[in-house]
Amino acid sequence: MLTIDELVEFCGATAVVVPDPGVEVTGCYTSDLLSDVMANAPEDCVLVTVQNHRNTVAVATLVGALVIMVCHDREIPEEMITAASNEGVAILKTPLNQYHTSARIYRAFGS
Amino acid sequence: MEERPFAEKVPRSADLNEQPLVILELIQRLKVRDVMTTELLVAARHTTLREVQDIMKQIKISGVPVAENGRLYGLISIDDIIRALEGGYIDEPCQKHMSTKLVVLEDDMPLSFAISYFDRYRYGRFPVLDRNQRLVGIICQRDINRTLLVELTHELRRMEELTGGSSAPQDDYAGLYFFREFPVSKFDFENAGKAATTIKQLLQERSFPARLIRRVAVAAYELEMNMCVHSLGGVLTCQVSNGEVEIVARDTGPGIADVEWACRDGSSTANDWIRSLGFGAGLGLPNVKRVADHFEIRSQEGEGTRVRAVLVLASENKPKEESQGSGGG
Amino acid sequence: MTFAEVVAAIGGKMVVLTETADRKVRHVVGSDLMSDVLLVDEDDMMLLTSLASDQVLRTAQIVGATGVVIVNDKPVPDSMADVARELGLSLATSNLSKYEGCVAVYKALNGITT
Ligand SMILES: Nc1ncnc2c1ncn2[C@@H]1O[C@H](COP(=O)(O)OP(=O)(O)OP(=O)(O)O)[C@@H](O)[C@H]1O
Ligand SMILES: [Mg+2]
Repeated sequence: MLTIDELVEFCGATAVVVPDPGVEVTGCYTSDLLSDVMANAPEDCVLVTVQNHRNTVAVATLVGALVIMVCHDREIPEEMITAASNEGVAILKTPLNQYHTSARIYRAFGS
Repeated sequence: MEERPFAEKVPRSADLNEQPLVILELIQRLKVRDVMTTELLVAARHTTLREVQDIMKQIKISGVPVAENGRLYGLISIDDIIRALEGGYIDEPCQKHMSTKLVVLEDDMPLSFAISYFDRYRYGRFPVLDRNQRLVGIICQRDINRTLLVELTHELRRMEELTGGSSAPQDDYAGLYFFREFPVSKFDFENAGKAATTIKQLLQERSFPARLIRRVAVAAYELEMNMCVHSLGGVLTCQVSNGEVEIVARDTGPGIADVEWACRDGSSTANDWIRSLGFGAGLGLPNVKRVADHFEIRSQEGEGTRVRAVLVLASENKPKEESQGSGGG
Repeated sequence: MTFAEVVAAIGGKMVVLTETADRKVRHVVGSDLMSDVLLVDEDDMMLLTSLASDQVLRTAQIVGATGVVIVNDKPVPDSMADVARELGLSLATSNLSKYEGCVAVYKALNGITT
């Protein structure tokens, strides 16, 4: 189980939208293909992606992902922020790439 | 001694047989501007067809551009004159009867381009515009024949000198030239990317610096994919000349409504289907900008898009020059 | 570690083995978006991706990758293997998800055994 604070700390991330600071993720899924996320992402996970798009929020909601971690510090468009606040999905962003972010999250789970 | 890492192999006397066809090399090296006629006789829009006919007679040409202050409005051909004589409107202004659907060439296009146009369109001549779309010349097949004859004679002399074994090979990349053109079709994901791969190979064969090759390949790939994904189809060209690599993507539409927006990181109009194929992050044009020394984009909604990226060989060479002082072979 | 060694260490299956597999992996990218892959400036990277398409290979080749691993146990079409051979690029598959694949590669490269 990882809290938002732990994700932020381990990935050197910035919190962009945090509707509920109390959520805890139990897994991680790394993907930039929304169809893949839709088909394979586990519930209650953090989704690691570079897709800074409103549709990412929609897909996260559908599969029950709680946090979207956007890599490469990509700018989060206003409409994505609005969607996330409405849907209660958290958005964090990290300067790391998907590989390093995944490795950090793995280490966070182990600690 | 300074090493030039990407010199085109110049044939020595022994391997003259392996030299590429001189004529092919010539039509890629020469530009339209080297061949076109710049002494222009043009008509204005209000000039009558009869006056145009006089111009034609006088200098024995069969087509006269209609232009004012460098701006091209149309073309009057001998056919237009014949029709005017038959139809009895020879005294009307050319504005009313000129052809306005014009196929034009740009002055920095390679001659090979012009030749393929003559083949494709079967017109007798093409007006030539410069980068700023101003009329700077006109080119006909006679111009091409004349220039090629002169250049071939030069080339022959140079080859004879080489065979004589006296001149040293000039291993200067500034003199290196080549040009390639690749058609790109809409949604042809099977072939898309091949142009960029081929360009990469061509540069590798010529021993360009690895960093530069990578930057060129990235720019070419992004522009190729953009034409495949977003346009109705177009042409990707790669030209190496004067120590520069120039990648140009031209397509036939639909154009970009807001170019500035499109160049921003993350801007994309790609739909979910495109995104499921791995495109549409909105990173392509920013990528091209990042790797290019010079970046230009011209587009208008309803018309085509033209993107030009130039990468300067010298910009890759700089770290090398810095390390020159440290000596060693 | 070379690409071939990494693939073995994560329990992947080599589909097309070319000489790039003998190159040392110095950088890892786990992306499914081509322009994102092209952002990579480092040489000798290996790519983990959940997308099985020719474009993945062409993109990887543009940036001089050591090899590509298709994750999620995705079947590799014959045509894709042909393109890999044509480009001289090593291609492997793995039944791990991309997250698990990244973690496995990270452990392999850092000598973590648990
Ligand atoms: N040749 C073109 N014709 C029409 N529109 C274009 C063309 N090239 C780019 N665009 C427009 O500009 C936008 C941004 O292009 P860019 O290459 O930066 O991103 P993308 O192609 O959408 O995604 P990515 O390149 O990351 O796969 C495109 O979404 C498209 O709307
Ligand atoms: Mg693009």
